[in-house]
Amino acid sequence: MKTPGRALFGLMLFTLFTGLTAGSARAHQFWLAPSSYDGTPGRPASVSAFAGTGFRGEAMPWSPAHGVRFVVRTARLVDLTPAAAPGETNWSRFVPTDGGGAMFAFESGFTGIQLAAAPFDAYLLDEGLTAARSARSRAGEVPGRERYRRCPKAWIAGTGAARATAPIGLPLEIVPLAVPGFGPMLPIRVVRDGRPLAGALVKTWRSPLGAGVAPSDAAIRDSVGVSWKGRTDARGTVTVPVPESGEWLISVVDMVPCREKEEADWESTWASLTFARGR
Amino acid sequence: MGVAHVRAGAVRFAGVRAVLAAVALLAPALVPADASGHDQPFSHADVDWRRERLEVRLTVHRDDAISVLGGGSPEALMDRAVLAGRSPQLAQVLSGRFHLQADDEYLALRLESAEPLPRDHAVCLTFRTAPLRRPSARLAIECRLFPAVRDHETFLAVSEGARTASRDIFTATHTRAEVYSKGAAGTVAAFATYLRAGVRHIFIGPDHILFIVGLLLLGGGIGRVLKVATAFTLAHSITLAVAILGWFSPPSWAVEPLIALSIVYVGIENLRRRSGNGDWRIRAAFCFGLVHGFGFASVLREVGLPSQALAWSLLAFNLGVETGQAAIVLAITPMLAGIRAVWPRIAPRAIAACSWAIVAAGAYWFVERAIEPVRLLSSRL
Repeated sequence: MKTPGRALFGLMLFTLFTGLTAGSARAHQFWLAPSSYDGTPGRPASVSAFAGTGFRGEAMPWSPAHGVRFVVRTARLVDLTPAAAPGETNWSRFVPTDGGGAMFAFESGFTGIQLAAAPFDAYLLDEGLTAARSARSRAGEVPGRERYRRCPKAWIAGTGAARATAPIGLPLEIVPLAVPGFGPMLPIRVVRDGRPLAGALVKTWRSPLGAGVAPSDAAIRDSVGVSWKGRTDARGTVTVPVPESGEWLISVVDMVPCREKEEADWESTWASLTFARGR
Repeated sequence: MGVAHVRAGAVRFAGVRAVLAAVALLAPALVPADASGHDQPFSHADVDWRRERLEVRLTVHRDDAISVLGGGSPEALMDRAVLAGRSPQLAQVLSGRFHLQADDEYLALRLESAEPLPRDHAVCLTFRTAPLRRPSARLAIECRLFPAVRDHETFLAVSEGARTASRDIFTATHTRAEVYSKGAAGTVAAFATYLRAGVRHIFIGPDHILFIVGLLLLGGGIGRVLKVATAFTLAHSITLAVAILGWFSPPSWAVEPLIALSIVYVGIENLRRRSGNGDWRIRAAFCFGLVHGFGFASVLREVGLPSQALAWSLLAFNLGVETGQAAIVLAITPMLAGIRAVWPRIAPRAIAACSWAIVAAGAYWFVERAIEPVRLLSSRL
């Protein structure tokens, strides 16, 4: 019979082991966040991008080499890339002119990465990328050669449903089917190259808001666990629970075999949507 | 299960717990650094360019810093005392990968301070140069801070007083930047640099030389030669400006094969029309000059134009190209005239042979330059 001490010891060892290995399996989220989600006309906000885990991360500087598209949809779609300064972490300054809200969207180019077989498989498992995982298990234990790109969006509060729900046209995109932040449930559609993506694993994170509807400092706040997970249905839709106030991050990743085999074996696209639900 | 048993287990566990706590404390040092958030590796190089000296602040991510320090915990670098102990080694590595040249004088960097930036997961090293002998007009910076990291970018910002004189991004393929000071001295330095670059480009580019030689082979009077040269100059000046000012810029995979084809065309036309009727040459010089201008622009973009003296630099580069071109015309035209005068019967054969050589060289370059886009296209299909 196991003593409680042994069981606890085993549990601690297991926790320590998983803690150590999970670090390498953790994938980095990438999201856009304004200095405030308040869309009151005339109140300026700056928009930055963050990369990290558990909805805590570092501000990323604007790099023209990595940026394919950086736009905002208000009454019309505006290209923000000419005004973004290389090296600056404030990618854009925005002053709402009406109360309709604004959807910011960014598309990055591809970045290559290579992981050893075990952490790569663990990452596939963690992100629910079952097709890639089973294809790799048939191929045997080989390192994961991947290239990835980012497609984040951020919604600054407003009442313009058309602005929130119209697709921007990103390679992988989370399209809200209602204005985000207005209720306890948010239906979304995940779209890949303009078509609904079925069976995609969607995750959410929530971080408490700072003053007003400003996000807390993403670089120094506590990281948080996944709030909710669910898969999209055949029409690419899923309803995400947004039960309380806070800054919310919805994220999804899709992975396909890479066509440029000299560059990578796998190609992943990471989409996210950030918004706030007020108090 | 008795209470005593549990307590005994708890006592044994207390010892184990101490070991585990120690392992957990050491864990960050044992496992590879988690590159959390270090999504696209980057660093910052901020250069404060003063009349008397320069100050350089290199801000690097703690993961990158640890990678050049040969191990340890990146988190530990956020401790001021730990950083103070390791910063001399870090400074030695980084200053060896960041070179400053003011005018023609190489400047050594001396570490002034090292500061942890916990919010950015970074460390900032501040360097100073020795006092400058005289105020400099041109600053050349070579930087490749983390050559082992393929996608690493270093964002350069050079400030001169209150104004940002220049911004640039160093990558694996772009490792050098030149900045010119404000005022007349900087403009003169930029003009001289780009004038040399223009001359150099003509002389190191055999395709442009061959195109010009091809146009001159059929000879003609000074007036006709001048018209041909002027047409070429006018055309490439137009497209060079159009491309550099960002109005229209075709990709180099399209321009470079076209430049090669222009050489083939000139050679063939020379073989077809040995009569000396040179009107076609003015049209060809103008039409293909437009294409060559885009070629010059791609070279100039690689060199980079200083934003603070854009117009002067563009003019200087163009003048440099003209100077090089004029030198070729002045060398070739009298030589061809001499051959025709001394060996009138051999001259047509020599011109034909040269034309065939031009066709062959152009065809070779065309195949060489067309292969790359075809290869790229086929890899995408």
